[in-house]
Amino acid sequence: MNDAELINQILNGNMNAFTFLVNRYQKLVVHITGRLIQRQDELEDICQEVFMKVFQNLSKYRNESKLSTWIATIAYNTSINYLRKFKKGDEVNPDDSAALRNLTDYRSDEFEKADLHRYIRDQIELLPVQYRTVLTLFHLEEFSYQEIEQITGMPEGTIKSYLFRAKALLREKLKFVVDEDSLKLVKEITNEK
Amino acid sequence: MKNEELDRIIEKSFKVEPGFKLPVDFAQKLTMKVIGREQWKTDLREYLLLSGVLLSLLLAASGFYYFVDKAFVLKVFAFLSSNLVPVISVVFILNFIFFTDKVILRYLFSRWSSGTKQKGKSAFF
Repeated sequence: MNDAELINQILNGNMNAFTFLVNRYQKLVVHITGRLIQRQDELEDICQEVFMKVFQNLSKYRNESKLSTWIATIAYNTSINYLRKFKKGDEVNPDDSAALRNLTDYRSDEFEKADLHRYIRDQIELLPVQYRTVLTLFHLEEFSYQEIEQITGMPEGTIKSYLFRAKALLREKLKFVVDEDSLKLVKEITNEK
Repeated sequence: MKNEELDRIIEKSFKVEPGFKLPVDFAQKLTMKVIGREQWKTDLREYLLLSGVLLSLLLAASGFYYFVDKAFVLKVFAFLSSNLVPVISVVFILNFIFFTDKVILRYLFSRWSSGTKQKGKSAFF
Protein backbone atom coordinates (compact mmCIF):
# COMPACT_ATOMS: atom_id res chain seq x y z
CA MET A 1 0.00 0.00 0.00
CA ASN A 2 1.48 3.37 -0.97
CA ASP A 3 1.37 6.49 1.20
CA ALA A 4 -1.53 8.15 -0.64
CA GLU A 5 -3.74 5.07 -0.25
CA LEU A 6 -2.70 4.78 3.38
CA ILE A 7 -3.68 8.39 4.09
CA ASN A 8 -7.03 7.91 2.33
CA GLN A 9 -7.75 4.83 4.41
CA ILE A 10 -6.93 6.67 7.65
CA LEU A 11 -9.04 9.67 6.69
CA ASN A 12 -11.91 7.27 6.00
CA GLY A 13 -11.64 6.01 9.57
CA ASN A 14 -9.63 2.83 9.08
CA MET A 15 -7.58 2.66 12.27
CA ASN A 16 -5.70 -0.44 11.16
CA ALA A 17 -4.23 1.75 8.43
CA PHE A 18 -3.04 4.14 11.13
CA THR A 19 -1.35 1.26 12.99
CA PHE A 20 0.29 0.35 9.69
CA LEU A 21 1.50 3.93 9.22
CA VAL A 22 2.94 4.03 12.75
CA ASN A 23 4.75 0.76 12.16
CA ARG A 24 6.09 2.04 8.85
CA TYR A 25 7.46 5.32 10.18
CA GLN A 26 8.24 4.63 13.82
CA LYS A 27 11.89 3.88 13.08
CA LEU A 28 12.30 7.26 11.39
CA VAL A 29 10.65 9.05 14.31
CA VAL A 30 12.67 7.11 16.91
CA HIS A 31 15.94 7.92 15.16
CA ILE A 32 15.22 11.65 14.94
CA THR A 33 13.64 12.01 18.36
CA GLY A 34 16.11 9.73 20.11
CA ARG A 35 19.15 11.46 18.64
CA LEU A 36 17.79 14.87 19.60
CA ILE A 37 16.44 14.35 23.10
CA GLN A 38 18.74 11.45 24.08
CA ARG A 39 16.42 10.23 26.82
CA GLN A 40 15.07 6.72 26.58
CA ASP A 41 12.58 7.34 29.42
CA GLU A 42 10.93 10.24 27.56
CA LEU A 43 11.20 8.71 24.10
CA GLU A 44 7.88 6.84 24.09
CA ASP A 45 5.88 9.89 25.20
CA ILE A 46 7.46 12.14 22.59
CA CYS A 47 7.03 9.61 19.80
CA GLN A 48 3.41 9.27 20.86
CA GLU A 49 3.01 13.05 20.69
CA VAL A 50 4.54 13.07 17.21
CA PHE A 51 2.12 10.46 15.88
CA MET A 52 -0.84 12.15 17.59
CA LYS A 53 0.08 15.32 15.70
CA VAL A 54 0.43 13.31 12.51
CA PHE A 55 -3.06 11.90 13.01
CA GLN A 56 -4.63 15.26 13.87
CA ASN A 57 -3.04 17.05 10.92
CA LEU A 58 -3.28 14.32 8.33
CA SER A 59 -6.19 16.03 6.57
CA LYS A 60 -3.97 19.11 6.11
CA TYR A 61 -1.19 17.11 4.47
CA ARG A 62 -0.75 18.05 0.83
CA ASN A 63 1.38 15.99 -1.51
CA GLU A 64 3.92 18.82 -1.82
CA SER A 65 6.54 16.74 -0.01
CA LYS A 66 7.05 13.07 0.73
CA LEU A 67 5.11 11.75 3.73
CA SER A 68 8.39 10.76 5.39
CA THR A 69 9.66 14.35 5.06
CA TRP A 70 6.42 15.69 6.56
CA ILE A 71 6.54 13.24 9.48
CA ALA A 72 10.24 13.97 10.01
CA THR A 73 9.42 17.69 10.18
CA ILE A 74 6.85 17.05 12.90
CA ALA A 75 9.30 14.82 14.79
CA TYR A 76 12.05 17.44 14.51
CA ASN A 77 9.83 20.33 15.68
CA THR A 78 8.38 18.32 18.56
CA SER A 79 11.85 17.31 19.75
CA ILE A 80 13.22 20.85 19.46
CA ASN A 81 10.23 22.16 21.44
CA TYR A 82 10.93 19.53 24.09
CA LEU A 83 14.59 20.60 24.30
CA ARG A 84 13.59 24.28 24.58
CA LYS A 85 11.00 23.48 27.23
CA PHE A 86 13.55 21.73 29.39
CA LYS A 87 16.09 24.53 28.98
CA LYS A 88 18.55 22.73 26.84
CA GLY A 89 18.47 25.64 24.42
CA ASP A 90 22.19 26.29 24.81
CA GLU A 91 22.83 23.01 23.08
CA VAL A 92 21.10 24.31 19.96
CA ASN A 93 23.99 26.67 19.15
CA PRO A 94 26.99 24.52 18.42
CA ASP A 95 30.48 25.57 19.34
CA ASP A 96 33.15 23.29 17.89
CA SER A 97 35.74 23.77 20.60
CA ALA A 98 33.20 23.00 23.32
CA ALA A 99 31.97 20.05 21.33
CA LEU A 100 35.51 18.74 20.97
CA ARG A 101 36.02 19.08 24.72
CA ASN A 102 32.80 17.22 25.27
CA LEU A 103 33.97 14.20 23.34
CA THR A 104 35.23 11.71 25.87
CA ASP A 105 38.86 10.81 26.28
CA TYR A 106 39.85 7.37 25.14
CA ARG A 107 43.31 5.89 25.27
CA SER A 108 44.51 3.91 22.30
CA ASP A 109 45.72 1.03 24.48
CA GLU A 110 42.12 0.54 25.56
CA PHE A 111 41.07 0.23 21.97
CA GLU A 112 39.32 -3.03 21.26
CA LYS A 113 37.62 -4.40 18.21
CA ALA A 114 34.21 -4.77 19.82
CA ASP A 115 34.30 -1.26 21.26
CA LEU A 116 35.03 0.59 18.04
CA HIS A 117 31.57 1.18 16.65
CA ARG A 118 30.11 1.77 20.09
CA TYR A 119 32.84 4.29 20.78
CA ILE A 120 32.19 6.28 17.62
CA ARG A 121 28.44 6.06 18.19
CA ASP A 122 28.93 7.43 21.71
CA GLN A 123 30.99 10.27 20.28
CA ILE A 124 28.20 11.09 17.82
CA GLU A 125 25.78 11.32 20.75
CA LEU A 126 28.10 13.88 22.34
CA LEU A 127 28.02 16.21 19.33
CA PRO A 128 25.83 19.34 19.43
CA VAL A 129 22.17 18.75 18.65
CA GLN A 130 22.24 20.36 15.17
CA TYR A 131 25.14 18.17 14.11
CA ARG A 132 23.39 15.05 15.37
CA THR A 133 20.24 16.07 13.53
CA VAL A 134 21.85 16.57 10.13
CA LEU A 135 23.98 13.44 10.54
CA THR A 136 20.91 11.36 11.32
CA LEU A 137 18.82 12.80 8.52
CA PHE A 138 21.55 12.66 5.89
CA HIS A 139 23.41 9.44 6.64
CA LEU A 140 20.91 7.29 8.51
CA GLU A 141 17.63 8.29 6.89
CA GLU A 142 19.25 9.29 3.57
CA PHE A 143 17.29 12.51 3.06
CA SER A 144 18.59 14.93 0.44
CA TYR A 145 19.92 18.40 1.32
CA GLN A 146 16.64 19.94 0.08
CA GLU A 147 14.59 17.61 2.25
CA ILE A 148 16.74 18.35 5.31
CA GLU A 149 16.28 22.05 4.58
CA GLN A 150 12.51 21.49 4.51
CA ILE A 151 12.58 19.51 7.77
CA THR A 152 14.88 21.69 9.85
CA GLY A 153 14.53 25.07 8.17
CA MET A 154 18.34 25.36 7.98
CA PRO A 155 19.82 26.68 4.72
CA GLU A 156 21.55 24.14 2.51
CA GLY A 157 24.94 25.74 3.12
CA THR A 158 24.55 25.39 6.88
CA ILE A 159 23.56 21.74 6.53
CA LYS A 160 26.65 21.01 4.43
CA SER A 161 28.80 22.92 6.87
CA TYR A 162 27.39 21.00 9.87
CA LEU A 163 27.99 17.70 8.10
CA PHE A 164 31.55 18.68 7.28
CA ARG A 165 32.27 20.00 10.76
CA ALA A 166 30.75 16.99 12.50
CA LYS A 167 32.95 14.71 10.48
CA ALA A 168 35.98 16.93 11.08
CA LEU A 169 35.35 16.90 14.84
CA LEU A 170 35.11 13.13 14.97
CA ARG A 171 38.18 12.80 12.73
CA GLU A 172 40.16 15.06 15.09
CA LYS A 173 39.08 13.03 18.06
CA LEU A 174 39.82 9.70 16.44
CA LYS A 175 43.23 10.88 15.30
CA PHE A 176 44.26 11.19 18.92
CA VAL A 177 42.93 7.89 20.07
CA VAL A 178 43.46 5.52 17.17
CA ASP A 179 47.06 4.63 16.41
CA GLU A 180 48.47 2.66 13.48
CA ASP A 181 47.97 -0.71 15.19
CA SER A 182 44.41 0.15 15.96
CA LEU A 183 43.84 1.22 12.40
CA LYS A 184 44.76 -2.29 11.29
CA LEU A 185 42.03 -3.58 13.58
CA VAL A 186 39.66 -1.03 12.15
CA LYS A 187 40.45 -2.19 8.64
CA GLU A 188 39.78 -5.75 9.72
CA ILE A 189 36.42 -4.76 11.12
CA THR A 190 35.35 -2.73 8.15
CA ASN A 191 36.35 -5.53 5.82
CA GLU A 192 34.43 -8.01 7.91
CA LYS A 193 31.18 -6.03 7.75
CA MET B 1 46.97 7.99 9.96
CA LYS B 2 45.24 8.70 6.70
CA ASN B 3 42.22 10.96 6.67
CA GLU B 4 40.46 8.89 4.01
CA GLU B 5 40.65 5.80 6.18
CA LEU B 6 39.28 7.65 9.14
CA ASP B 7 36.56 9.14 6.97
CA ARG B 8 35.57 5.70 5.81
CA ILE B 9 35.28 4.46 9.39
CA ILE B 10 33.28 7.50 10.43
CA GLU B 11 30.95 7.31 7.43
CA LYS B 12 30.29 3.68 8.27
CA SER B 13 29.54 4.56 11.88
CA PHE B 14 27.06 7.20 10.77
CA LYS B 15 24.96 4.40 9.28
CA VAL B 16 24.86 2.50 12.57
CA GLU B 17 21.44 2.86 14.18
CA PRO B 18 21.34 4.61 17.56
CA GLY B 19 20.35 2.33 20.42
CA PHE B 20 16.96 3.92 21.14
CA LYS B 21 14.01 1.53 21.19
CA LEU B 22 10.22 1.66 21.53
CA PRO B 23 8.07 -1.13 23.00
CA VAL B 24 7.01 -3.80 20.52
CA ASP B 25 3.31 -2.95 20.94
CA PHE B 26 3.84 0.80 20.56
CA ALA B 27 1.70 1.11 17.43
CA GLN B 28 -1.20 -0.88 18.91
CA LYS B 29 -1.16 1.07 22.17
CA LEU B 30 -1.03 4.35 20.30
CA THR B 31 -3.92 3.37 18.02
CA MET B 32 -6.04 2.45 21.06
CA LYS B 33 -5.24 5.83 22.57
CA VAL B 34 -6.18 7.67 19.36
CA ILE B 35 -9.43 5.69 19.11
CA GLY B 36 -10.24 6.59 22.73
CA ARG B 37 -9.55 10.25 22.12
CA GLU B 38 -11.62 10.35 18.94
CA GLN B 39 -14.47 8.54 20.69
CA TRP B 40 -14.37 11.11 23.52
CA LYS B 41 -14.51 13.97 21.01
CA THR B 42 -17.42 12.37 19.13
CA ASP B 43 -19.35 11.70 22.35
CA LEU B 44 -18.84 15.26 23.56
CA ARG B 45 -19.94 16.66 20.20
CA GLU B 46 -23.00 14.42 20.23
CA TYR B 47 -23.89 15.52 23.76
CA LEU B 48 -23.56 19.22 22.90
CA LEU B 49 -25.59 18.75 19.73
CA LEU B 50 -28.40 16.88 21.52
CA SER B 51 -28.44 19.46 24.35
CA GLY B 52 -28.66 22.22 21.76
CA VAL B 53 -31.51 20.47 19.91
CA LEU B 54 -33.44 19.85 23.16
CA LEU B 55 -33.01 23.45 24.29
CA SER B 56 -34.07 24.80 20.89
CA LEU B 57 -37.16 22.54 20.88
CA LEU B 58 -38.10 23.72 24.36
CA LEU B 59 -37.70 27.37 23.39
CA ALA B 60 -39.62 26.89 20.14
CA ALA B 61 -42.45 25.06 21.94
CA SER B 62 -42.76 27.73 24.64
CA GLY B 63 -42.62 30.46 21.96
CA PHE B 64 -45.38 28.76 19.99
CA TYR B 65 -47.49 28.16 23.11
CA TYR B 66 -47.06 31.83 24.07
CA PHE B 67 -49.31 32.76 21.16
CA VAL B 68 -51.85 30.01 21.97
CA ASP B 69 -52.15 30.53 25.72
CA LYS B 70 -50.20 33.55 26.85
CA ALA B 71 -51.50 33.45 30.45
CA PHE B 72 -50.37 29.85 30.97
CA VAL B 73 -46.84 30.54 29.70
CA LEU B 74 -46.54 33.60 31.92
CA LYS B 75 -47.75 31.53 34.87
CA VAL B 76 -45.08 28.91 34.16
CA PHE B 77 -42.37 31.60 33.92
CA ALA B 78 -43.57 33.14 37.19
CA PHE B 79 -43.42 29.70 38.85
CA LEU B 80 -39.91 29.08 37.52
CA SER B 81 -38.58 32.47 38.61
CA SER B 82 -40.06 32.15 42.09
CA ASN B 83 -38.47 28.67 42.53
CA LEU B 84 -35.13 29.43 40.95
CA VAL B 85 -32.91 27.32 43.22
CA PRO B 86 -34.92 24.05 42.97
CA VAL B 87 -35.39 24.57 39.22
CA ILE B 88 -31.67 25.11 38.64
CA SER B 89 -30.89 22.06 40.81
CA VAL B 90 -33.27 19.84 38.85
CA VAL B 91 -31.91 21.10 35.51
CA PHE B 92 -28.36 20.56 36.75
CA ILE B 93 -29.10 17.00 37.93
CA LEU B 94 -30.89 16.10 34.70
CA ASN B 95 -28.06 17.58 32.67
CA PHE B 96 -25.49 15.68 34.73
CA ILE B 97 -27.33 12.39 34.22
CA PHE B 98 -27.51 13.09 30.50
CA PHE B 99 -23.78 14.00 30.36
CA THR B 100 -22.82 10.91 32.36
CA ASP B 101 -24.84 8.68 30.07
CA LYS B 102 -23.62 10.22 26.82
CA VAL B 103 -19.97 10.94 27.63
CA ILE B 104 -18.54 9.79 30.96
CA LEU B 105 -19.86 6.22 31.01
CA ARG B 106 -18.81 5.62 27.41
CA TYR B 107 -15.34 7.02 28.15
CA LEU B 108 -14.94 4.89 31.27
CA PHE B 109 -16.21 1.82 29.46
CA SER B 110 -13.79 2.28 26.55
CA ARG B 111 -10.91 2.81 29.00
CA TRP B 112 -11.89 -0.23 30.97
CA SER B 113 -12.22 -2.42 27.87
CA SER B 114 -8.88 -1.26 26.40
CA GLY B 115 -7.25 -1.88 29.78
CA THR B 116 -8.67 -5.38 29.86
CA LYS B 117 -7.45 -5.99 26.32
CA GLN B 118 -3.92 -4.84 27.24
CA LYS B 119 -3.91 -7.02 30.36
CA GLY B 120 -5.22 -9.95 28.37
CA LYS B 121 -2.49 -9.49 25.79
CA SER B 122 0.32 -9.29 28.33
CA ALA B 123 -1.06 -12.31 30.16
CA PHE B 124 -1.25 -14.22 26.87
CA PHE B 125 2.29 -13.36 25.81
